[in-house]
Amino acid sequence: MQFLYTAWTVKHKPESTVEIVGNTLAIKALRDWLQSWEKGVPKKRAAFLHGPPGVGKTVTVEALAHELQMELVEKNASDYRTEDAINRFAGLASQYGSLFGGKRIVLLDELDGLMGNADKGGVKAITNIVKTARSPIVLIANNAFNPRFRTLRSYCILIEFKKPSASTILKNLQRICEREGIQPEENVLKFIAQRAEGDVRSAVNDFQALAQGKKQLTYDDVSWLAHRDRQDSIFNVIKLIIYGRTSLGAKKALDMAAVDLDMLFEWIYENVPAHSMDALAMADVYRGRIRASQDWSFMRYVVDYMTAGVAMARQNSKVSGWVPFRFPSRIMMLSRSKAERAMRKNIGLKIRRKCHISVSRASKEVLPYLRIIFKNNTPMAAGIAKWLDLDSEMVEYIVGSKAKTGAITAFLS
Amino acid sequence: MSFEMWAEKYRPKQLCDMVDQKTIVERLKSFAQSKNVPHCIFAGPPGTGKTTAALCLARDLYGEDYREHLMELNASDERGINVVRETVKTFARSRSIGEIPFKILILDEADNMTSDAQQALRRTMERYTGTCRFIMCANYSGKIIEPIQSRCAPFRFSFLPREEHDTYIKHIAERENVKLLSDGLEAIFEVCGGDLRKAINTLQASASMNKPVDSLLVYSVTGKASPYDVQKMLTLAINGDFLGARKQLRDMIQKYGVAGVDIIRQIHKEIFKAEIPEPWKIKLVAITGEIDFRLVEGSDEEVQLSALLARIVEAGSEIKKGK
Repeated sequence: MQFLYTAWTVKHKPESTVEIVGNTLAIKALRDWLQSWEKGVPKKRAAFLHGPPGVGKTVTVEALAHELQMELVEKNASDYRTEDAINRFAGLASQYGSLFGGKRIVLLDELDGLMGNADKGGVKAITNIVKTARSPIVLIANNAFNPRFRTLRSYCILIEFKKPSASTILKNLQRICEREGIQPEENVLKFIAQRAEGDVRSAVNDFQALAQGKKQLTYDDVSWLAHRDRQDSIFNVIKLIIYGRTSLGAKKALDMAAVDLDMLFEWIYENVPAHSMDALAMADVYRGRIRASQDWSFMRYVVDYMTAGVAMARQNSKVSGWVPFRFPSRIMMLSRSKAERAMRKNIGLKIRRKCHISVSRASKEVLPYLRIIFKNNTPMAAGIAKWLDLDSEMVEYIVGSKAKTGAITAFLS
Repeated sequence: MSFEMWAEKYRPKQLCDMVDQKTIVERLKSFAQSKNVPHCIFAGPPGTGKTTAALCLARDLYGEDYREHLMELNASDERGINVVRETVKTFARSRSIGEIPFKILILDEADNMTSDAQQALRRTMERYTGTCRFIMCANYSGKIIEPIQSRCAPFRFSFLPREEHDTYIKHIAERENVKLLSDGLEAIFEVCGGDLRKAINTLQASASMNKPVDSLLVYSVTGKASPYDVQKMLTLAINGDFLGARKQLRDMIQKYGVAGVDIIRQIHKEIFKAEIPEPWKIKLVAITGEIDFRLVEGSDEEVQLSALLARIVEAGSEIKKGK
């Protein structure tokens, strides 16, 4: 697919702790604890990092492993949920030194995923591993104070990661700007940083969505962000729909959407791959039927087609890399071209008065010729402008340049 | 060179100025002489003189102040039923002052009127025949409802034949001191196909470049003047660039205000010319028909046409597999 790029969250991931924004105290605490292993196994054999999403918990562990030259064995707990599975890998990883004789860190990420009855015993298995660990174990969760973790907590040092301030996020965005060679307008980055509400990852994602492939970034390019709720959610919703594996999953994504159905339709339409277009068109057909019949019970078919229909039309389920979902540009064009349509209509009315032709045909059949004449022949343009009684704004719309407009109006007076 | 729209400057003023549509003009002249006009339908393709004939007839009937006895409405702009109820009725029922007891209402592009509006019109026509005569101009008389057709005298306008077209364009070129080469003239006819308004506009736009008008100039002008390039869009789609094709579509609809039905008509024409596997052609026609119907039903133009493009992308990938 042509729109796959590397995610900037990966491409510009901090390689050392110096590049990580904010949370300096937490980073220092983790570093001290990791270094204490050199003097023998400390009292608490695991560090429990907790804090809101996107503040740099995982990145910190990765950067420290790199700096301290330790091997990182990383597992995502949402993938290894049962007691058996956890024992298999974590037990192994913590008992022995690394292949190269060096130290190793065992990272268990996203512990919040270990919930519900299906994962019964999972936390207990982790607790047991921690009790007997020979290598440092790092646990990560958004909420360490979940009652499930009560026993586990007592064997860990707790390190809290906080949301970095907007100004620290700003620094991170500036670093990416330099590396990508983007020149943003002054308030653009500030705006994105503020909107992220402390979530560095979503700020970078947002920034990529807006800036990918651009060299300049103006405030107009980003101001639409203000019109929607947390950007994170809409990107996720679309991802769940376009790359959904089950019909039900795609349908459920709708509940997460913080935008109305028409807006969501535009988001999907903007980002839909060609092979899912049929399903989306059917959703639109039902929208038309609702308009015609005023029977809103058809809405369920609109919903089915635009979620499950789009998801099931997918040909391959693999999503590699990062898909830069685009903002529905049709909406921007619509608002921008509203003024343009009004202008076209007004010129059409002027033409109609003289040429016995409807406004729509005037703009389709006469306006294109006027454009050519106005661009190439100033005296003739002036004559026609006078004859049609066009004002200078109309002339400028037709000729498309200020200089030529000046020449034409000068010719008139 | 004069600096107004030549299509208007050289629009015939009286019936005797009209060089083409001879049989029609003769009948209209007899209407003017007898000072009686029935309701009429002028049907025919664009640029063949329907509106001109109606205006000339009015001038011949009423003389120079014909404007006082005439109303020109364009159904594409005011096609709702309310316009018929209000505007048309008000005009139709008031009596004309002067020798001729009736006024004339020219309803241009009447085939764009909704059938409801046409139904309403039918009673108005009947009721106020004494005070108002209707001339309905339309591209397709078939789109005018049967009851109205039966109340009107039909006139069929056809495209100008080559010689009359050439005489007319050459005449304008001479009067405007434009150097028109013979291959330029040929190109104009080829591109405009006898649509005189388009031909004159093309001539004027070409002349505005202050160069001798040859075929190359004409083609470059008409290329620039057609705001939409359906062929380019289809080529992109066949080559698998869905987003590129959609961008093209979006520009046509939003930047240039091209109607979805016009685009679909063009696509339909191109399907059989396109280089796609034979079995796909009729498949695409089936889809085009379906999409066309959806547009009539009131679905979103851009979304539906995108779906059509997606299917063309699919056809395109079939070709690649075939090779």
